[in-house]
Formats: sequence, structure tokens, C-alpha cells
Amino acid sequence: MLSVKNLHATVDGKEILRGINLEVHPGEVHAIMGPNGSGKSTFASVLAGNEKFTVTEGSVEFLGENILDLPIEDRARMGLFLGFQYPVEIPGVTMANFMKVALNEQRKYRGEEPLSAGEFLRLMKQKSAVVELDSKLTSRAVNEGFSGGEKKKNEIFQMAMLEPKLAVLDETDSGLDIDALRIVATGVTKLHTEENATIVITHYQRLLDYIVPDFVHVLYKGRIIHTGDKSLALKLEKEGYDWLINEYKE
Amino acid sequence: MGLLRYIENKGIELRSGSEITLSDGSTALLLCNPTKLECGVAEQGSERLVVVHTTDQSSQLQFNVERGGSLHVVELFLSNVTARSVICQQADSHCQITSIVVDSAAVDYQVDMNGEGAESLLRSIFLLSGQEQAKVGVRVNHNASHTFSDSLVKGVASGEARGEFDGLVYVADGVCQVDARQLSRNIVIGGKAHIATNPQLEIYADDVKCSHGATVGQLDGDAVLYMRQRGLSEAQARSLQLEGFVVDVLSLIGDGELYDALKQDLDNKLERL
Repeated sequence: MLSVKNLHATVDGKEILRGINLEVHPGEVHAIMGPNGSGKSTFASVLAGNEKFTVTEGSVEFLGENILDLPIEDRARMGLFLGFQYPVEIPGVTMANFMKVALNEQRKYRGEEPLSAGEFLRLMKQKSAVVELDSKLTSRAVNEGFSGGEKKKNEIFQMAMLEPKLAVLDETDSGLDIDALRIVATGVTKLHTEENATIVITHYQRLLDYIVPDFVHVLYKGRIIHTGDKSLALKLEKEGYDWLINEYKE
Repeated sequence: MGLLRYIENKGIELRSGSEITLSDGSTALLLCNPTKLECGVAEQGSERLVVVHTTDQSSQLQFNVERGGSLHVVELFLSNVTARSVICQQADSHCQITSIVVDSAAVDYQVDMNGEGAESLLRSIFLLSGQEQAKVGVRVNHNASHTFSDSLVKGVASGEARGEFDGLVYVADGVCQVDARQLSRNIVIGGKAHIATNPQLEIYADDVKCSHGATVGQLDGDAVLYMRQRGLSEAQARSLQLEGFVVDVLSLIGDGELYDALKQDLDNKLERL
């Protein structure tokens, strides 16, 4: 589904990603961990197509297509979803209106008819239940005045609405209390199928109690320096990254 | 179908006033291209007016709102017009003005609050593109105690357009318990568009509460990126954001056929910004 080869990327001339290799297949959950400043969020942004970053080397194939030349919206329409670490507030634009335009734009790209108003409302209701999102929030402006937990729930709600093939969740767990974390993580798990895949970027093992990864990767200085199974996350939580970093230096 | 077509199709004769029915069942007087007009609202009376400017000319309107009267005006500037409106409010009167400018127009409002308990609410937006130049002036004179005014003017300029807001809140000597608010918020798109905003206070009394402010900013790039990540094109994301910027003012017009026709004009305009 996703094939990343030797990916290098810079921002303002500074190289942040220095040769990432990653293969993701349908049905898989990958966790990416690593110390601060190792390039985790940059990797998510580059996959999504944020133009702030320049890819200088390597390739990214999504669903068999080279996506590096595609603008961010086309990658989204192909089914690549990015859960933002800091969801943006958009005053005056209601969630319902935003999601309606987004969903129908994605449907158009796939050659599908737009949803009728009734179908859309039913879908909103059904999907907001997945993340226990207060249905009142969907009539409010996008993220405006939402609490930190509501913003993150709202990211997963949008993911539920858009049903992406690949979801990249950038520190969706940061700033969440225990209850919100459970709701968000359970939502992600509910949305997981054998046809889609998820990459979760996280600092903490606790998220992985709910979202059980098939692979755990450690990103350091713009490279994946180690890959293991879910037990790696537990070991990292206990022992930190130093043992890996020391090994890597040698 | 834009507003002009709507009016033509309805057979409403331009220039003369005719009644239109609004979606809530109430009626309003529609005025097309008035050049000079004086209009009164009787004591405890209530009037609703929709004023549409579609030709290039000048317009002078005066509204006298007697004690306890209520005036509701929606004014639409679709042409290169120079317009001046003076609203005189007596005690306990209420006036709400919603003003939309989508072409090179020079629009001036003067609200004279001459009686205690008068309230004035003014909302205006100007949307300018290409080479258009527009100016919106709002002067509110608090000549009586216990008066309240709240003015909000929002501007968007793109291309090489130039917009200007001149605001003045005047509080006369000897009056008290005045609450006056004035805010100018603007978005400039691209490096060649320009908006000048000039909110001023002139206060000769002590027991007053006045606030004024002005912001000029750009479209929020992070919000555009966020919306594009959900599948919107850049143009859609920008126009949705602009729509969000002006929706609070537009929603005051109400709905119904007239609003739908206007909405069409505004959507076209928003897409061109």
C-alpha cells in the first residue's frame, strides 16, 4: 500500500529526513516512536504533501502510484489521511459544511455521486458515535472553542467520515486525558479493517495499549534505526532510547 | 441567478418602491436605485427596507425613526455608487443596518442617536477584487444618554483592489451611560491589494464605555492546508474560509428568495477573490 524508499527531505535548507525506508501493507498498524526532533512529524507532513518541506531524494509510492508530485489534496482524495498534531481552527465554517464539501470532493475524485443531504446527516450521526463526539460539535465552527480532547476526537471523527485507506496519526494522543485517550484509541481500532492501514506516531507506549501495532519503528535523526514488534514499545518505555542510540552510533 | 435577474424576473420596477415578502412571512419595502429619499418610522412603528444599488449614481437617504420605532435596513451595493445615509433615532428606537458592498462604492452612514435608550446595530462587509476601490464610512453620534451602538465592518480585498474604512464614534459633552463598540476586521489577499482602516473615538463625556479595534490580516495558510488535506482544492479552501469570515454578517440578511439570489452574487464574488 505504501512504499517509502530512501526518503530525504529538507525544510529551510536543513535536512530533517535522511533516508527513510518503510513498507506498509493493508491491514497493518505501524507505530513510529523516537526522541524529540527525530523527524516524526516531518515524516507525516512529507507523506501528506505539505509544501513547506522539500523532498531531495528517494521515492514514495501509495497504492502503486508515485505521489511525490501530487498536491496534498490529491493524495487526500486517493485515501491518505493525516491526523494533525495541532488541528486548526476555522472560524465561521461549520464542521458539517466542511465535511460535506470534503467528502463530496473525495467522492467526485473516485467517480461517485455526491451524497444527498439525508444520507450525509445519517453518516454524520453514525460516525460521530464512533468517537463519542457530542453531535452539537458538528454544527459548530471547525475546532473553534473545542477543548484539546475534542479537537483530537474531531480528527478521528473526520477519519471515520472519510474512510481513508491509509491514516497517519501524528501524536493524536498528546494532550489527552485518560478517558479521551481511550475514546480516541478505541475509535481508531474500530475503524481498522483488513483493507486499510494505520501509522501512529507517538511518544508514549500507553496509546499502544489500545492500538496494538504490528510493527514499532524507532526514528532517530531522520532514519529508522530499529524495528521490532509491540514488545519494543514496552522496552522503550522502560529503558528509554539510549541503548538504541548508542548501538546506532557504533 | 443573481439579484439583478431576480428583481427583473419578479417584474419589480426599478426605482419605484414595491413590497416584497420575506421568508418569515413579513414584508419589506424594496427600493432600487433611490437617488434621494426621506423616510420615516412612526412612533412605535416598524419598517423593513431592502435597498439595492445597481447603477452608477449617487444616493442620499434620510431615515427618521421616532420614539420606540424600529428600522431594519438591508442595503446592497452592486455598482459604482456614492451613497450617503443619515439615520436619526429618537428615544428607545432601534435600528439595524446590514450593508454589503461588492463593487467600487463610496458608502457613508451617519447615525444620530438623539434620544435616550436608542440602540443602533450596524454590520457591513465589502468584498473587492481586481481594480475595485471602495470606502465605507460609519459615524455614530451619541447625542443622548443611555444609548448603545455596535458597528462591525469586515473587508476583503484581492488583486489590486483598495478598501478603506473610516469609523468615528462621537460622544457629546454632558451625556452619560453610553456604550459604543466599533470593530474593523480585514483580510488582504496577495501583495497588491490594500486596506486602510481608521477607527476613531471622539469622547467628551466621562461615564461612557467605548471600545474600538481594527485588524488587517491574511488568509490563514494553516487552515487552507488543513482543508486541502481533507480533499478540498486550494480555491475551495480559500473561498470556504472567506465565507466563514463574512457569514455572521450575511446571516443577518435572513433567508428566502431574495437572499438566495444575493448569495449567488456573493458566491461568484468570493470565487473571484
